[in-house]
Amino acid sequence: MKTDEIKYSLQNLAHRKTRSLLTMLSILIGVMAIFALISFGLGIRNYMDTLAEEAGADKLFIQARSVGVPGTDANFFVSADDINFVSKINGVDEISGMYIRAGEVKFKKEKKFVFIAGTDIDKKEFVEKAFTVGVEKGRQLKKNELGKVVLGYNYQFEDKIFSKAIKLGNKIEINGNSYEVVGFYGLIGNPQDDSNAYLNYRSMELLFEDIKDEFGWAMIGADKNTDPEVLAEKIEEKLRKFKDQEEGKEDFFVQTFADVLATFGTIINVLNGILILIALISIIVASVNIMNTMYTAVLERTKEIGIMKAIGAKNSDILFIFIFESGLLGMVGGIIGVILGYLISSAGGQIAAASGFAMLQPVFPLYLIIGSILFAFLVGAASGIMPSIKASKLNPVDSLRYE
Amino acid sequence: MKSTIIKLDNVWKTYKMGDIEVHALQGLSLEVKAGEFLAIQGASGSGKSTAMNMIGCLDIPTKGRVYLESQDISRLSESNLAQIRGKKIGFIFQQFNLVNTLSAMENILLPMIFQNISREERENKAKELLNIVELGDRMDHKPTELSGGQQQRVAIARSLSNDPDVILADEPTGNLDSKTGENVMHFLQKMHKEKKTTIVMVTHDAHLAKFAQRIVQLKDGKLIRGRK
Repeated sequence: MKTDEIKYSLQNLAHRKTRSLLTMLSILIGVMAIFALISFGLGIRNYMDTLAEEAGADKLFIQARSVGVPGTDANFFVSADDINFVSKINGVDEISGMYIRAGEVKFKKEKKFVFIAGTDIDKKEFVEKAFTVGVEKGRQLKKNELGKVVLGYNYQFEDKIFSKAIKLGNKIEINGNSYEVVGFYGLIGNPQDDSNAYLNYRSMELLFEDIKDEFGWAMIGADKNTDPEVLAEKIEEKLRKFKDQEEGKEDFFVQTFADVLATFGTIINVLNGILILIALISIIVASVNIMNTMYTAVLERTKEIGIMKAIGAKNSDILFIFIFESGLLGMVGGIIGVILGYLISSAGGQIAAASGFAMLQPVFPLYLIIGSILFAFLVGAASGIMPSIKASKLNPVDSLRYE
Repeated sequence: MKSTIIKLDNVWKTYKMGDIEVHALQGLSLEVKAGEFLAIQGASGSGKSTAMNMIGCLDIPTKGRVYLESQDISRLSESNLAQIRGKKIGFIFQQFNLVNTLSAMENILLPMIFQNISREERENKAKELLNIVELGDRMDHKPTELSGGQQQRVAIARSLSNDPDVILADEPTGNLDSKTGENVMHFLQKMHKEKKTTIVMVTHDAHLAKFAQRIVQLKDGKLIRGRK
């Protein structure tokens, strides 16, 4: 019996194409927006999970207690003494300081300001593991060679950083000094890291004369049997005493990689949540719209309801027909919304990747697709409840007389 | 002696129109025997439509009793009445009252859908009925694609779909020209003879009433002529 009523509902919707389409349009916009936003949110979460897995949960960072890009606070640095001190703390397996400064890179008369990072070649495996990528093209720098540079992923393409693509063996200038490009890092996934230029310690110390032993930040690898959270607290306490700073007034803080990701994740979730909330407003508007459409349909089909009651439709039959029809409006809107949301997200992901945000890739798990459509159906059905109750309670005698 | 299928016992129906009470039926008593073709004749405002609503279980009386096959239906809920209508009563209306979004076939299927009859059974039944009303070749046409006479024949077929005990026809030819109207009346007579269906027809037209076996006349909500 229900299949016949489903068919009947479909016929009714098809009969009133324009109105059905307009009503669906309102819900499909909401579903589309929510679907696209969630697919991106899930994509970012996936990216972070992969990052945590690849980099390992045993990594910690010592960073400046300041707002802004880590490592660039001019008043703060991790000194060689600090690093030496921390390396002796029980539970610290490896530690590596990272120089970081802004610099002017010149290639074929074009100039760009980017970050120049100085990495510890002795610990390149450890550093690459923390970065999650290594040098994928060309080679890594050697410890003491001068005049060579490894560039971030984005330099290899035209119009990303410079209008021309840089190739292995090309010469670039950093702050007026010439360097030969010997390698490129793989894709990290955010435009800032992918635009860095990497030097070894020696080149860095020659280029920036005052930088020696003043590292922008340091990454730490914990021992296998050490809880990184506990180690972070231990390092923070000992380093505070070593630097003779008051608790709560340190100029540094120690964070585990998991913490960094969690902070990032929270920000993303909040942003995504706000956007979804805005999209939900459009669902509320759609719900009112569906309600309005269904009230009109009840009015318009009063006579039809009378006929159906006269030939034996019970109140519950009428209720089912109208609620189902309303749910169907939502569901069809939801299906179209999911399709459009999928197209928009996919296009958005490609645009993001083209702009360097390779980490912004949407994912479309089955539960999201089915959930979105089901949600649209339920919104539709719920919006139709009041009009449907009205329809089911119509008096057959009056309805038959209705013109 | 044939058994009584419908009995109205001193039925009153009062409508409130603002402050004024209108007594559409004022103590109407009437019996319909199984298998008979009865015409209720009366002028407009005589209460004949209200009488038909009572017989058809579309409405319940303000006062008095209505019995369908000795079951008192005067105090039943709308859903119970709907079930009785669906199983025991077939309606034919003046304005045909077909569902315009459905085809002729689907209109005939509709009452059987509400009775949970299996797909195969109801499709066979609908085809058989369409052939009886000589519209076998029009089953996929929408009501708007059919003439008035054809629409009314679809309505007749629909009224028969659940093998009702009683067919109620409310001015069945009122929206048809006289020739088509007569044709429809012949169909009703044919149903009555071949299927032994009980038919109650409401009409203002004395000429039309002559198609019936028995005529009762209604005025001011009461019987003025004819046997109860």
